[in-house]
Amino acid sequence: MGIIIAVISGKGGVGKTTATANLGLGIALNGKKCVMVDFDIGQRNLDMILGLENRVVYDMVQVMDEEASVKQALIKSKVSENLFFLAASQTKDKSVLDSKKVEKLVTELKKDFDFVILDAPAGIESGYEHTIEFADAAIVVVNPEVSSIRDADRAIGILDSKSNKIKNGEEVKKYLIINRIIADMVQSGEMLKSEDILEILDITLLGKVPEDKGVIDASNQGKPVILDKKSIAGQAYGRISARLCGQTVDMKDIEISDSSLFKKIAGMFK
Amino acid sequence: MKSKQYSVKVYETKIDNEAKFMAFFDANYTLFKDHLIVINGLLSKTIENYLILKELRYMNNVTLPKGRTRKALEEELRLEKIEREVSQQLAEEKVKKLSTQLQNNLTVLDSMIRSGRELNIEGDLLLLNRVNSGATINTLGNLIVTKVVEGSIRCNGNFMMLTASPKANIVFHGVEVENSLLENRLNRVELKNNEIIITPVLKKETNWA
Repeated sequence: MGIIIAVISGKGGVGKTTATANLGLGIALNGKKCVMVDFDIGQRNLDMILGLENRVVYDMVQVMDEEASVKQALIKSKVSENLFFLAASQTKDKSVLDSKKVEKLVTELKKDFDFVILDAPAGIESGYEHTIEFADAAIVVVNPEVSSIRDADRAIGILDSKSNKIKNGEEVKKYLIINRIIADMVQSGEMLKSEDILEILDITLLGKVPEDKGVIDASNQGKPVILDKKSIAGQAYGRISARLCGQTVDMKDIEISDSSLFKKIAGMFK
Repeated sequence: MKSKQYSVKVYETKIDNEAKFMAFFDANYTLFKDHLIVINGLLSKTIENYLILKELRYMNNVTLPKGRTRKALEEELRLEKIEREVSQQLAEEKVKKLSTQLQNNLTVLDSMIRSGRELNIEGDLLLLNRVNSGATINTLGNLIVTKVVEGSIRCNGNFMMLTASPKANIVFHGVEVENSLLENRLNRVELKNNEIIITPVLKKETNWA
């Protein structure tokens, strides 16, 4: 029996889908069976970021409507045999989702996989509510800026009131990924510090991901950045995936840039 | 012209059986001696003598302005009494409700108030956590928040207590409170003579963590 994790953010464009792709791959590379489901119906992107767009035959809506079986619709990753992917429908819209169908699909996936990662759509509408409804845990992706933090706060609030587990008196664990941190801007005070973000959101920190230009190229190429051993964002996703798989990995302080560290040392010899 | 106005009790009757009438009057003399007796119809000499003997004031065949009968009067009094009791009960209930609303109703919360949440509290609120940006709190009673407020708060109580909250939107009795007036410690905000008074209540800066 696996765990269902919803990747949420509230605001769009903060790196939810990128995080889903990289964490899914990272978990699979750690030897766990993982399936990613794109819940952003009508605006599917995960297939492109994974480089699997030409392999999509059936989508999750067709599976829910029983036009195709889960086995037929699951797409196996080229990189890892532990990783599978279920595409969103590009032609339909969010209104096709229905609680019973979603529950049936995710519980079926939960039986066969260690990790079921649901990529939530941006916003807090019905599509988002269906994504979080049966989740056991949530990963909240934010950027260090106020609008992203406020939207994430709202999304957490909805998770805490509408999730099925909460309704049954249980708890939904929430983990935070702070994405696109630019160390120099944090040091100069232009960007929010992690401590401030954690104070506002009050959830467990899962990891910090630095801004990395390689991410865009990696997405365009369909090769998640985690595969690039030199990429700092890829390394960060590697650490986060290891934490998700139960390993203890120290939190690397990426908010101190090399240049500012150099300045500090230089200052000592003045 | 000098005049006086009285209400007089009247006993109005018609005599069928003289012996019975006198026996009835003998028996209830104490009651009738303060009444004006009005006899309708024939008034015989025997009865007239009897009434004079008993020193009862009487009149024969007169039309008096109609007052209310005793039964009607009693009914009216009874209804009045019920009405008074009901209105008193209602008033008491109203006061009780208002007092629980305003005084005996303290809500204590230690959960974070996240964006998009709206709290409407009829009594007092003691909040031991943050109010995040995009959250709203309305209280009819007093409000104490021990951590930073970044959302909006509307307080209509006697006072509110807040720490420095530069990003908050604070309205006290419909008047916006200037954030910069709140010092980095617990501040008491109250209304005195239609003026908002802000006083820091602790000398030392607060650290609730």
